[in-house]
Amino acid sequence: MPRYASRIISSFASLVLLLVMVFFLSRLTGDPAALFLPDDATPQMIEQFRELHGLNDPMIVQFGRYVWDVLHLNFGDSLRQARPAIEVVTQAFVWTLWLALITMALVTAAAVVIGSLAAFRPGGIFDRIVTFTSLIGASAPDFWVAIVGITVFAIGLGWLPTSGTGTVWHWILPIAVLFIRPFGLILQVVRGSMVSAFGSAYVKTARAKGVRDRSIIFVHTLRNAMLPVITVVGDQAAALLNGAVVVETIFGFPGVGKLMIDSILNRDFNVILAAIMVTAIAIFVMNLLIDLAYALLDPRIRT
Amino acid sequence: MKRTTLLLSSALALALPPLAPAFAQEGKDVTIVLGEDIDLMEPCMATRSNIGRIIMENVSETLTEYDVKSGKGVLPRLAESWEDMGGGTWRFHLRESVTFSDGSAFDAADVKASYERASSDKLTCETPRYFGDTKLTFDVVDEHTIDITADPAQPILPLLMSLVTIVPSETPVEFVREPVGTGPYKLASWSPGQSVVLERRDDYWGEQPAVEKATYVFRTDPAVAAAMVAQGEADLAPSISAVDATDSETDVSYLNSETTYLRLDSAIPPISDKRVREALNMSIDRDAFVGTLLPEGTVPAVAMVPPTTLGWNPDVKEYPYDPEKAKELLAAAKADGVPVDTTLYLIGRSNLFPGVTEVSEALQQMMQDVGFNVELQMVEVAQQEELYSKPFKEGRPPQMLFVSHDNSKGDPVFSMFFKYDSNGRQSGIADPKVDEMIAKASAATGEERTKDWQELFAYLHDEVVPDVLLFHMVSFARVGDRIEFTPTIATNSMLPLSEISFK
Repeated sequence: MPRYASRIISSFASLVLLLVMVFFLSRLTGDPAALFLPDDATPQMIEQFRELHGLNDPMIVQFGRYVWDVLHLNFGDSLRQARPAIEVVTQAFVWTLWLALITMALVTAAAVVIGSLAAFRPGGIFDRIVTFTSLIGASAPDFWVAIVGITVFAIGLGWLPTSGTGTVWHWILPIAVLFIRPFGLILQVVRGSMVSAFGSAYVKTARAKGVRDRSIIFVHTLRNAMLPVITVVGDQAAALLNGAVVVETIFGFPGVGKLMIDSILNRDFNVILAAIMVTAIAIFVMNLLIDLAYALLDPRIRT
Repeated sequence: MKRTTLLLSSALALALPPLAPAFAQEGKDVTIVLGEDIDLMEPCMATRSNIGRIIMENVSETLTEYDVKSGKGVLPRLAESWEDMGGGTWRFHLRESVTFSDGSAFDAADVKASYERASSDKLTCETPRYFGDTKLTFDVVDEHTIDITADPAQPILPLLMSLVTIVPSETPVEFVREPVGTGPYKLASWSPGQSVVLERRDDYWGEQPAVEKATYVFRTDPAVAAAMVAQGEADLAPSISAVDATDSETDVSYLNSETTYLRLDSAIPPISDKRVREALNMSIDRDAFVGTLLPEGTVPAVAMVPPTTLGWNPDVKEYPYDPEKAKELLAAAKADGVPVDTTLYLIGRSNLFPGVTEVSEALQQMMQDVGFNVELQMVEVAQQEELYSKPFKEGRPPQMLFVSHDNSKGDPVFSMFFKYDSNGRQSGIADPKVDEMIAKASAATGEERTKDWQELFAYLHDEVVPDVLLFHMVSFARVGDRIEFTPTIATNSMLPLSEISFK
């Protein structure tokens, strides 16, 4: 338990440090008034905007105010949307969270099953096909896969909507696009890990005792081979939780990735900070879950 | 056996009809796919294009409207008529029996309250920028008559009132997310980042538009927007890229209100020398861009405003592409000690329009071909904005900003002061005669106003040479086969649903 306590403390310290850095660095990028107001805004309008949003105060005063507000769970308003920044971010984050959860669940399940089967006979025809296709998948750029997906399945075959949200059908193409890259990567890790596990003495013993192939793969070997896989799954999930900017942009999914990019470009400081905080907490929680999964799979870690 | 089953199921999967439900539009509902999401739904911000396209003249109305379709000038909307009472006062006679979408009645007090709210220092609305230092006073004569006095007198006050959206007097002085207006539609729902739905009002004072319900969705990628219309998921994509406009049945090009140009900093050598500015203009082969890097229909510009604007001067001709003359001008300047070899910075903006990088590179090459030393830098909008507006940084190098200006409002007054006056926020020149001409034209009316603007355009282009005017740009719209819609020069900033009809 002390191990987790120190982990929580160090993560919290990292988060605070990150927020402080982003607070000051984002303000160094310039004045949001220039982007919110039109080109021909009068100097009075600019001054009024800066005054209204406290941008005329010294940086340290702005920071003090921000810290005070955050301690009171007030993360400020979005400059662009005139509503609480935390509301803007959590609304977007829900979409990202669902995309990440569904995608990673499907990716992990598929990569574990197919990777294990491929590893069972390394160099066999199934292994070669799987390796070849997964490598192509892992190398293909998201935007290209997305546009090809729309062209084939929405425009060509008319099976799926081109983009948007609303029905379950709208989720298929975005998830399929997000699926491809982590699937190729995790599949290779599963395969490599399983190949080395199959060469170990306990598998040879099991085979000598006549244990069925399916049991060797899914009962004896898989659990031991999963530790590196979980690390990579966590890594990929963290990337998705930060937002899938390309997929969100092309398919019109209102996720946190596009929100973050837009708020950086618009200098919507409160939204940037809220988005970083929410995603950082989500990644922290996910890392904790991965730690727990390690402990569950490997009794040596529990001790 | 197992293999046969696998093959059979695969074949079945491919042969089966689509499992997904149809996504096409039905009835008198339309779906419009826009490239830019809406962040606010505030009437006093309706002159911002992403907001105006949805609410201007759909939800929120103005006293007057500017007709860009048939060139009739300023037309009545919530005001039935108006007259110049002299001394800077205009009397507006308001339409009766008009109600807001919340059921309250529209009257003169709402006009007064709307302007005062939009000008409040508790909000940062767009409206005040159109009035500059002009002070407006509102006197409610009776329920349906209001006198508006401008100080100094404002000859185009009726046109300016086409930019002031009317809200009920009770509207709070804070940005609203559920606008209430007198327009033919009311907001039914708004899911941020996903869609906005407007529904037609049965109690609208005017003619009922054909569209009963309009759903706006947002797709940044124009290829996806075009595909949505092609698939029947949407009826209209008002702005797709030229590359995606491949279907002559559905895709139309139209002159939009954007004018691209290079803003020259005339205070810094060598650009401070007029010959250098002329040489820059003559080094550009504008016609070579049209139909190559820029779509067919793009028009070389001779003024900051599009040709449909009052006072646009047809006698001003674009600078000829004359590299030899440009070289001569440069040589003459050099002989007089002008440091023409100094590096000029051409600062383009990423995403200004599709292909902006290639166009910038071509401009750089053309300038280099006549002997300029040009360095190209592509920056984000925020970085460019800092260079674009005053106060300019001391010790800056000679810069040419590749920028774009939008004026679909019919009068040059919305452009000229801040682009060319010595005190204009984005002006690269300081010329007392120009200041005087802007002031004179801004105060003039009728034929005289037209003539004054024409003279200013000619003087600027031929005598001052403050910039390198490039192109009036075109946009492409994809119109679905269920509806009829003709985009106009104003489509980028407002999209009245009443202009859509069904086949």
